[in-house]
Amino acid sequence: MSSHAPAHAAHGHDAHSPSVPLSYWWKRVGWMTPAFFAAGLVIVWFVRAVFGMDPLWNAEVYYTVATLLAGFGFLTGIGCFDWWLKYAMGRKVDFHDHSFHGATSWKAYFRVNTDHKVIGTQYVVLTFIFFIFGGLFAEAIRAELAEPGQQFVNGEQYNGLFSTHAVIMIFLFVIPMFAGLANYVLPIMIGAKDMAFPRLNALSFWMLVPGGVMILASPFVGYFSAGWTQYAPLAIQGGTGVTLFQIGVQFAGFSSIFTAINFLVTIATMRAPGMTVWRMPLLVWANATTSALVVFGTPFVAASQFMNLFDRVMGTNFFDATQGGDVIAYQHIFWFYSHPAVYIMMIPGFGIISEVLATFSRKPVFGYRALAMATVAIAVLGFGVWAHHMFTSGMADWLRVPMMITTVIIAVPTGIKVFSWLGTIWRGKLHLKTPMLYALGFLFTFTIGGLSGVFLGTVPITIATTDTYFIVAHIHYVFVGGSAFTIFAGIYYWFPKMTGRMYNERLGAWQFWLFFIGFNATMYPMHWLGLQGMPRRVADYDERFAEVNLVISVASILMVISTLLFIYNMVNSWIRGPKAPWNPWRGRSLEWLVSSPPSIFNFETDPLVVGGPYQYGIEGARHAVVYAPTEVGGELTEAEKRTILVVAHETLASQQLVDAIRRKAAEEHYWRFTIAVPAADRDKRAAERRLQTVLAVLAEDGIDASGQVYDLGPVEAATKAASEETIQGAIVATYSKDSSRWLKQDVVDRMRKSLRSDLTQIVVTPGEVVEAFDAKGVQHVVVIGRDGLSSQGLMAELERRADQGPLRVTVLAAAGIEGPAWTDEANALREDVGERAGETLGLLLLAGIPAEGEVIDRDAPAAARVAAESYSPDLILVASARGESAIENAVEAVRENAGIVEVEHFIVDAEAPAAPMGS
Amino acid sequence: MSTEAIPVRAAPPVTDEVPRISQGMLAMLLFIGSEVMLFAALFAAYFFARFNIADNVWPPVDPATGEPFELPILMTAVNTAFLVFSSFTVWWAEHRLMHGDRRGMIRGLWVTIMLGATFLIIQINEYAHLSFSPQDQAFGSTFYVLTGAHGLHVFVGLSLLTVMLIRAYRGDFSPSFATPLTAASAYWHFVDVVWVLLFILVYLL
Repeated sequence: MSSHAPAHAAHGHDAHSPSVPLSYWWKRVGWMTPAFFAAGLVIVWFVRAVFGMDPLWNAEVYYTVATLLAGFGFLTGIGCFDWWLKYAMGRKVDFHDHSFHGATSWKAYFRVNTDHKVIGTQYVVLTFIFFIFGGLFAEAIRAELAEPGQQFVNGEQYNGLFSTHAVIMIFLFVIPMFAGLANYVLPIMIGAKDMAFPRLNALSFWMLVPGGVMILASPFVGYFSAGWTQYAPLAIQGGTGVTLFQIGVQFAGFSSIFTAINFLVTIATMRAPGMTVWRMPLLVWANATTSALVVFGTPFVAASQFMNLFDRVMGTNFFDATQGGDVIAYQHIFWFYSHPAVYIMMIPGFGIISEVLATFSRKPVFGYRALAMATVAIAVLGFGVWAHHMFTSGMADWLRVPMMITTVIIAVPTGIKVFSWLGTIWRGKLHLKTPMLYALGFLFTFTIGGLSGVFLGTVPITIATTDTYFIVAHIHYVFVGGSAFTIFAGIYYWFPKMTGRMYNERLGAWQFWLFFIGFNATMYPMHWLGLQGMPRRVADYDERFAEVNLVISVASILMVISTLLFIYNMVNSWIRGPKAPWNPWRGRSLEWLVSSPPSIFNFETDPLVVGGPYQYGIEGARHAVVYAPTEVGGELTEAEKRTILVVAHETLASQQLVDAIRRKAAEEHYWRFTIAVPAADRDKRAAERRLQTVLAVLAEDGIDASGQVYDLGPVEAATKAASEETIQGAIVATYSKDSSRWLKQDVVDRMRKSLRSDLTQIVVTPGEVVEAFDAKGVQHVVVIGRDGLSSQGLMAELERRADQGPLRVTVLAAAGIEGPAWTDEANALREDVGERAGETLGLLLLAGIPAEGEVIDRDAPAAARVAAESYSPDLILVASARGESAIENAVEAVRENAGIVEVEHFIVDAEAPAAPMGS
Repeated sequence: MSTEAIPVRAAPPVTDEVPRISQGMLAMLLFIGSEVMLFAALFAAYFFARFNIADNVWPPVDPATGEPFELPILMTAVNTAFLVFSSFTVWWAEHRLMHGDRRGMIRGLWVTIMLGATFLIIQINEYAHLSFSPQDQAFGSTFYVLTGAHGLHVFVGLSLLTVMLIRAYRGDFSPSFATPLTAASAYWHFVDVVWVLLFILVYLL
């Protein structure tokens, strides 16, 4: 155990994978687990023989000790104890041993790993597997209950089904899943490099494996039928399945306790400079509170299960009323933990919801301190309400009313939380991404569960509804509508951070709605069933409940489909989803200020926390400053790190694209843009001109952008640009479907596949307004002329100027109509001049010069007046064909009308019409 | 690009707060808190049996002999003295280390381990000679499980102290770094305090 000061200075944290292969550890598991199991058998035999116990063979005693030791055998084999054993044997050890830290391949996830991020991922994946098993048990229950009578299982097996379902969901899914999510994000959120005790953290995770296997195996060696609560005396009549459960739950319990201690020490001692308690994200508050509950509550369930086990296996009499034991005592001890356990299963979810709601409402959390203190209040009050589970148990009568009052009082801090969340989303700018959908769904369902909880907290209602489906409905509204919804929200929310990939948003939304509807359709009718008197924990039921039960069973399939969709989305996105940016949700807390996934020790140096975590929408507010080593360039302003790739060729110099970049840049101050201009077989000089013009425009807006022209096709150019720096997203601009060559070649889809990042397509209409280029850095030239327009000479001149510096052109074609403007001659003249002007514009656009134009009915001086009045150009270029006297003679008048604008006269030889370059 | 009044610094900020308590010690204190709750649960079962069911007719009558069950109070009192004394010796070992006396610390640890082992042996001997078993009513169950759980903790404490002794021989500890030792000794004090409570509640009252 390390006891050094927390701030590991950046001393060469280079992790190297241990040289032993993965198979080494699993071979050790392979022989040590059975060896320890056998050792357990031998020890019991020895002790029983020595003390002359009769009979020598008592199966349950042997199994109890042997399975306990087998669990330790597994842990020893996988290598959890290696470091400590070395320490205990007096060998030289390194307190900062990082040889088991971090992951470079999938193999690192299948051995002991001390990296909190790897452990977090291990937790989430393993507990989700347990969730699937728990769900299968639930579906088996629903299959049996689909119609009255006995179909698939007998009463004993049915009891085993619901008991195992509950145990898996509580001890193997909800509690460890929260531990896993917090394991991943909590150290980053407080600016720490890892947990306080990484080796203990690894042990906590691996303890879940034998614990989980034992609990999953228990139905196959004799169902335990007393429910997850294991009430004596029924539980004491159980068989080996109960033994496996009771040993397994001890592993899970120890795992929780160690994780909780780890969290508490980490939060207490490893916060980054400036991270005061009132700047901690609410998830950290929630986990600190939960950890305290676990540390002081879980030993009670451990003790209750030990005594229960001894009563059954050893023949002790704790809960045997005929031998002076107290049956009710079991329930008191059990619920003294297990009611706080309800909050252990809920409070971390409250933390997740606070994070998600604030981020996706773009608002500071409403009542931050009230939320934090309400969390603590719930935990403290939670220790004083346990007996409300026992109103009908025959416990002392005088306990009822005090427990009813304390129970109902818990609604006050819970209400504070719910109203604070509503205050957070009130008038917020809601972004309905999947995590937010789950958070809003949570608000809805959890409130229903909370309200039925207030009902059930009162003695008369409990007495009326005890052991009916009303209870089932209530706990599922709290644990599914509450805990499971927050878990889904959390997984979606941090999926980009954990995997470095984006999940599929549309599938996510589908998954949410299926789950939400399926859940409500499954659980809501149970309220009614309960009030009608349908008893829970019975395999059969009265005919009159048949229809509703069938509906419930069918509706529950929606949740199965939804879960399959979730698995597909997660697995598929993890493998081939687009690369996630650092901060896809624009969150403020520290985990969003590091890369996705974070580097091996999260931060190169300690971040400095300078403000609260939820200051959304507050000008200039910052939560933290993240530093990078001097080699990288000092403070890590995210601008250096977060790049959007822009791919466009002709479409680059367009209003739509520039606006899109501006919009993106306005989102966060740290986006920077790399523009890749693919110009294989195209006019490279034109491409360069466009690029320079756009860069000049963006520079004036203070947008950090750079670019390059590539002699490559679009996909190749984008891939090349993306290989040169880490990109967080891409924008590609094309023409519309009908006129786009790129779309015909499927460029966008190919690019999306190749870049694997978030790609936005902008459709540009050709020949549009160019206000976007009205920028100081771009010289604005008005060309006035008639016959001289669209000549090669003029084009060459403008291109020459454009090569010297960014340029945009307005063509004013002076038709020179004299007399009335509605005559046929006038119209013909106008058309002729307009055609010429259009041709010029086309040539200019092809040459990479943004251009627009109009036809002026009158002569050149009139055009000059228009130019000076409406276009505010930097230069007026009067273009005349050689010998075109109408224009040549008007130059002086033009100068007069142009006022302060500089006027140049350019004479072109009109013989050769200009041809676009490069074609 | 940012214009906030935050100084741009290339070097990591210096952590200005040194925690008042080492991580190891804090973890041990929390773990002890957890252990306290474990014993609280076992004591709860004991109180339920004694005050709720037996109505404080305690020890209850052994149906086999017609006499109340008997506990060896005198011998256990002596044993309690050993354990209490060992708490002082482990404190003394720490104290010697703080004065830079490594040999004194090792001696103190040896004495502590010897006393603890003596306690454990006497306790096992007591088990062997008691007139009742864990299966004899709730009285027997609570007695054996409480003292057994405590004995297990004594064993864990002894193991910790033994490891500390090994590390002490290796020269791990110094006046400036002794967290594992102080943590192990805190655990030992806890084991001791629990026993005093247990002796009073189970044997004397």
